[in-house]
Amino acid sequence: MSTPKIRLDAVSKFFGGSVVAVEKLSLDIRDGEFLAIVGPSGCGKTTVLNMLAGLEPATSGTMMLNGKPIEGPGAERGVMFQDYALFPWRTVRGNVEFGLVYGPAGQGLSPAERTERVERTIEMVGLTGSQEKYPHQLSGGMRQRVALARLMANEPEILLMDEPLAALDAQTRVILQDELLRIWGQDRPAPERRTVVFITHAIDEAVFLADRVAVLSSHPGRLKQIVDINLPRPRGDATRRSGEFARLCQSIWELIREEAYRATMN
Amino acid sequence: MKRVALRLLVPVLLLVGWQLLASGSVQAPRPSTVLEAAIAMVRTGDLLSGLATSLGRVFAGFAIAACLAVPLGIAMGSMPTVERNLDPLVETFRPIAALAILPLVILWLGSGSGAAVAIVAYAAFFPILINAIAGVKRIEPSLMRAALTMGLTPLTRMRVVLLPAALPSILVGMRIGLGIAWTAIIAAELAVGAKSGSSGGIGQMMFVFYAYSIDLNGMVVCMIAVGIVAFTLDRALRWALAITVPWSRI
Repeated sequence: MSTPKIRLDAVSKFFGGSVVAVEKLSLDIRDGEFLAIVGPSGCGKTTVLNMLAGLEPATSGTMMLNGKPIEGPGAERGVMFQDYALFPWRTVRGNVEFGLVYGPAGQGLSPAERTERVERTIEMVGLTGSQEKYPHQLSGGMRQRVALARLMANEPEILLMDEPLAALDAQTRVILQDELLRIWGQDRPAPERRTVVFITHAIDEAVFLADRVAVLSSHPGRLKQIVDINLPRPRGDATRRSGEFARLCQSIWELIREEAYRATMN
Repeated sequence: MKRVALRLLVPVLLLVGWQLLASGSVQAPRPSTVLEAAIAMVRTGDLLSGLATSLGRVFAGFAIAACLAVPLGIAMGSMPTVERNLDPLVETFRPIAALAILPLVILWLGSGSGAAVAIVAYAAFFPILINAIAGVKRIEPSLMRAALTMGLTPLTRMRVVLLPAALPSILVGMRIGLGIAWTAIIAAELAVGAKSGSSGGIGQMMFVFYAYSIDLNGMVVCMIAVGIVAFTLDRALRWALAITVPWSRI
């Protein structure tokens, strides 16, 4: 097996000295894989993502990216935030081109190439015609697409996504799950795909999207199990209806059921 | 048409009421006598040049205040150490009315335009500062994080994220500051620059009407002119706000 893209080795995160958010998490993330992290609330999912993004340091343990320690944020790791974090003063186009205009992602691109990539990305997420609109003029689903386009336009090696579909209604979610897989490149051979770390609390979403699902337990956040999802790609509605899909969802649910009940009842 | 008529209803009723109430007295200014005085003052050019002098001072003082308060507010809003050190100083000076520092200002700067401009700058400084600090502090943390993860340098982050994100609040502070500046200039000119005529500004003109010529009609003309200018300034700034920050509903 090739060396991992990201290696977490006994990573712990304490808040305020005593609250343990993540405890001794060891996890290898492979190049080009779609890894979903699920777990009940309070399992430190978002903390893991923020540490991978370089936005929060680990209290102990090591985090390696391409064999080098992660010491801060970097343009090779793109983040999609739960609240989308769109710039309200910039139009759809202004948001999508942001990283290319002001960050290192656009270095070496001529203005024409930049424009071409921005327009292509906007088309890819289906927002052609809305380029001049501001975020407050868009629906939740459209904002989510803008955030996805802003992330994709920078062409980062690794996509870190923090519950990007959580705020959407059920129908929009299903549609955007399909879209996300298409944009990620599930039709292409595996080596051409980007590495994705996708945080979610929805088990069915994790199973539908991912190659592997890392199940975390809560208080403190520990790695409980990694479940391989060998559902064939490309996936679609037929996948959602399959017995294997239901079986995988059920087995992951059983892993976290007890804790989820405890968290809800307390 | 109906809407215009409705809007004019209250002003017209006020004018009629004023005329009726004042017609019993010889000294009281009436709409008709005030209008005569206004026409005369506009004809001689005194009113407009007085207003121009005052406006010039307001803009100068306001510009100084904005140039100091906006960078300081951004520094205080984004750097906790700066805020911790400066906040007690700001909060000690803020309640001191602009007029209360008048004696000091006259002592240092004399009684000309310089003193009036300084008073205006002092008065406009605080609302701009307070709103700039709040604007920076209220920025959604995920916006700064998004810029961080896209690899922007600190200076670029400040220019293309922090500044536009805080801009609506900064402009609101400027709108409040300009309103206060216009109030302060009238008060300042009553006391500073004891020159007659238009060179003293509109405030000085009111003082002359009150203290020397005892011309109540002229005073009322000045009061109305001050009100109209304030209204126009505020509308202009609101319009500028809607143009510059269309994404923000303020």
